[in-house]
Order: sequence, then C-alpha cells, then structure tokens
Amino acid sequence: MSTDIWQITIFSLAVALASTLVILPLGIAVAWLLARKHWAGKTFLETLVMLPLVMPPVATGLILLKIFGRRSPVGAWLYDRGVEVVFNWKGVLIAMAVMSFPLLVRSARSAFAEVNPRLEQIAATLGASGPKIFFAVTLPLAWRGVVAGCLLAYSRALGEFGATIMVAGNIPGRTQTLSLAIFSFVQLGHDDEALTLLGVTIALAFVAVALSERLARSTVKT
Amino acid sequence: MLLRCRIPLSTFTLGVDVAFDCRAAAIIGPSGAGKTTLLEAVAGLRHVESGEIEIGGRTLFSSTRGIDVPARERAIGYVPQDPALFPHLSVRKNILFGAAGAVARDGAADFSLAHVVSLLEIGHLLDRSIDHISGGEAQRVALARALLSRPRLLLLDEPLASLDVGLKERILPYLKRVRDELAVPMIYVTHDTVEVLSLADWVITIAHGSVVAQGAPQKVLTSGAVLAEIDRGRLENVFGAVLIESSAEEGRSRVQLTSGGHLFIPYTTKPLNSRLQIGIAGDDILIATQRPEAISAGNVLQGTIRELDVAGAQAILRVDAIEEFFVRLTPTAVRRLELSVGRSVFLIIKTSSCVILGDELGGFRY
Repeated sequence: MSTDIWQITIFSLAVALASTLVILPLGIAVAWLLARKHWAGKTFLETLVMLPLVMPPVATGLILLKIFGRRSPVGAWLYDRGVEVVFNWKGVLIAMAVMSFPLLVRSARSAFAEVNPRLEQIAATLGASGPKIFFAVTLPLAWRGVVAGCLLAYSRALGEFGATIMVAGNIPGRTQTLSLAIFSFVQLGHDDEALTLLGVTIALAFVAVALSERLARSTVKT
Repeated sequence: MLLRCRIPLSTFTLGVDVAFDCRAAAIIGPSGAGKTTLLEAVAGLRHVESGEIEIGGRTLFSSTRGIDVPARERAIGYVPQDPALFPHLSVRKNILFGAAGAVARDGAADFSLAHVVSLLEIGHLLDRSIDHISGGEAQRVALARALLSRPRLLLLDEPLASLDVGLKERILPYLKRVRDELAVPMIYVTHDTVEVLSLADWVITIAHGSVVAQGAPQKVLTSGAVLAEIDRGRLENVFGAVLIESSAEEGRSRVQLTSGGHLFIPYTTKPLNSRLQIGIAGDDILIATQRPEAISAGNVLQGTIRELDVAGAQAILRVDAIEEFFVRLTPTAVRRLELSVGRSVFLIIKTSSCVILGDELGGFRY
C-alpha cells in the first residue's frame, strides 16, 4: 500500500480510538443514570442522546458546525484560547464522538439495567459506598455490555461520513478518513486506491463483528 | 428493639408497632403479608412513610426527628431469600466484601474470617466460584458474608425456604451457633413453625400488613387463631433430647427428653449422647381416653389435659405428659371423646412421627 493509504488508515483508526476513549467515561455515566435513576427530565436526556442516531448525519454535522464554527459563541470562545475545532482532526474527533455516543450509551445502558439491583442493595448493607458499589459490583457485572458498546461506537466512528465532512471537510492528509477517502478516490476515478481501502474496511469490519459476537455469546450473569 | 413503621404497599399498608428484646425473633405469616418488606425497611433498603426504627439503643429511622440512617451505615447484615451472592467474585471475595470496612466493637465476639469459616464449615469452598456450590452452601456463604461485616443485627429472610428438608437440618445448627457463639441478635422471617420453635425466643405474627400476635413461640404458635393465619400453620412440638440407645435391628432409637421422659424415634446412626431436637407434629398425635392395647405405635404417654382451645374448625389441646404436648383435633373428636380440661388421656405417637430436626449446638464439633 502506498503511504497515502497507510496515512489514511492510521489516521482513521487513531482518531476513532481517541473518540471512543473520550466518550467512554461520559457514556458510562449517562448509561448508568438512564438505567438506574429516575427524574423529571429523563426523557429529554434520552432523546438528546439518541438524536444523532435518528437524524441525518449531515444535519448533525451542520449543528456541530454551527456550534463550533468561529462565528458561534462557543467556537469564538475556543478560538480566543487558541483552540480551533473545525476543518482539522479535532473536528473529525468531535463528529465521530457525537455520532457514536448513542451506540455506546444504548449498549451500556441495557448492560447496567441487567445487573440485579438486589446485589447493589446487598453491597450497601455490607457497608459499601456508592462508588465502591459501582466499581466493585455494577461495572464488573456489566463490563461485557460496556465493551460491546465500545466496539459498536468505534466501528460507527470509523464509518462516519456525513457529519465529518460538514465539520472537518475532506482535506487529504489533514482530515481525510477512510470513508471520505473512498468517496474521493471514486470521484477522481482512482478505483485501485478505492478498492484497497475497501479491503481495509472489510477486514476491520470482520474483526469488529467477530469480537462483538464473542462478547454477546458469553452471557452476562447477574 | 423497636419497630414502628408504616409502609404503603400496592394493595395494603404495612403497619407494624412492636418492641422486643431477645436473641432471635421470628417474623411469621402467610406469603404476601409484608414480612420481607419489614426486613427491607429495617435494613434501610425501603422507604418508610412514617415511624421509628430503633435497634440496640440506636435510632436508625425516625420520621418525627428526621433521622434516616443510610443502609451502608446501619451495620445490619441482611441475608435475603435468594442468597444474592456476587456472581463475578469467588466465595472468598464474596465473604470478604464487607470485611474491610467493618468496625470492631468492644466485647464483640470473634468475627475473623477463620472463625466464621470454621463455624459455618465452608473452608473447603473458599476458592470456588459461586457457580460451583450447592444451595445450602450458598446460604452459608451469604451468612458468612453478612457476619464478616460485623453487623449489630442479622436479618434472615427465609434462609431455609429454598432448601429441601435434609438441607434444612444441615443449616439450622449453624444458625444456632451464630446466635449463641457470635451473639448477634437476629430477626428471622419464615412461614415454617418448626424453624421458629427451634430457633427463636420471640415470635411476631404478621398477616395482611399488621401484627396479629406476638410473644414467646410456645404461646403464639399454639394459638388456633394464629395457626389459622399461617399458610403452613403446622402445630409442632419441639423438644430437646439426648440420644441414649440405638438399635439397627429394632429399627429405632431412644432419646431422653429434657424433662427425663423417654421417646422412641426412628433409627439414627448419630453417636450416642448426641443432643438432638425432636419435632412431633400436633396433627400426628392420637388421643385415647383408655390405655390402648395391642397397638403398633411406639410411644404411648399418659397425661392430663390442661387447656382446650376450640377455634373454628380445629381444637387445640395442651396436654401435660412428661413434657407439654400440643395436639390438634377436630371439634367432633373433642365432643365424641368428651374431652375437657383436667381429664386424663393417653397420647399415641408413632415412632416415625418423631423427626430429628437438627443437632443441638455442641452435638457435633469438628
């Protein structure tokens, strides 16, 4: 493979990985809240989290562009502090993070919901604090669902197209990911490169599906 | 201990107001009476609408004073019906879960891992996964886990309900050891009268969310009105006894009761001088007004009727015959035999009706 192909592959894998790691703590927190707590505005948070899953990715990308663009309050505030988000790798990361967040939350949420609350109650009677209950009982029992959610989120991040192109553009060597590159190569008539990248994505997809199937099959006991 | 609480449930409101002071209290009543709810309220796992919960001089809940100690600060060991062991931890890690944060108290018994493990005889299980232990073992592990958090009070929710009869006999002695050697007070939910009689020194009967009767077990569990409320309201006679004779050929053994009288029981291989508990169902005792001749039953005891309590479709007799026996008859039988207080009668008990309930503490030690 040419250096271009390598660069595109490594860039995509690295930013998707970073995006998954960034959303992991927040995703776990939101998933746990949705699975265990009840409050008045819960439906609003649920909808907000799931929105990127049902909206056209390009529309989500436009929202992100409006939020992080230099002319918006948030974008201007960041720009004043030397942080520019749009049309560079940070834009790619944000687009991937927002688009894959719902998948992590959905998977982790049902994993938390499957943990028998009785076990958490018993842990409390044994003197365990809230954080100890979470890290010693809830999370270890839900870890398969959380990891499966990470895999889904990572795959979604790798495949992200619409939101990324809105926020980060399609700049070769700077923001071009696998999906964006395949599109560009086809547009330019470079079918060989496009097919090589296709092979890479198929290989990655096989690995991701195999891993998540393995996790799903080893059933979570509660 | 003071339990006064109101807890609204879907179909009725649990309203309890009891005060008692004992080593082991049993809460007995039909399914759905609110027994488990009450335990959860004491453990701090359920919202109490109003009332007061005081254990060993410490107020855990008081709606008037605005006190509601969270579950993790209550120091109450709770063993639910399903032992709820942590499935991702080994037996050892389960048992030690609450041990690190446990607070030692002056004069408290030995709550070390080694002692509790030997008391409950689970040493051989420590390194197993909880998938590889039996139901009875799981109950003992859950009990050990609760004990190592050094609770001020132990709550047991039908720990024997899911076990078959043979296993019950294997667990009752452990509960007695915990009660006597570790001196942890316990509140014990059950609907089995035998368990109450062999473990508790106070019994609270709950039906439809309110207390029907409370008092010493022998008193409460021989009241016809109380027995009628309980699903498995068996009338039981439970006696402490010592094994003094065993004959495989005769197929029977002989025990000496605490009062000095003797009973024949089915043949047992337990060593002589074992201390046993013998249970005889009040429905398994026949009453005769004349000494029966040529009868297969192994035990015929002469006694005097001290009390006769006819409640609805049943009549309960208290008969003084070497020990105090309670017998349940139909009102028709009472009429036909012309039974009355003060009358001399014979109790006829088949050898096989005398059941060994479990070893008394000290009967066997390893």
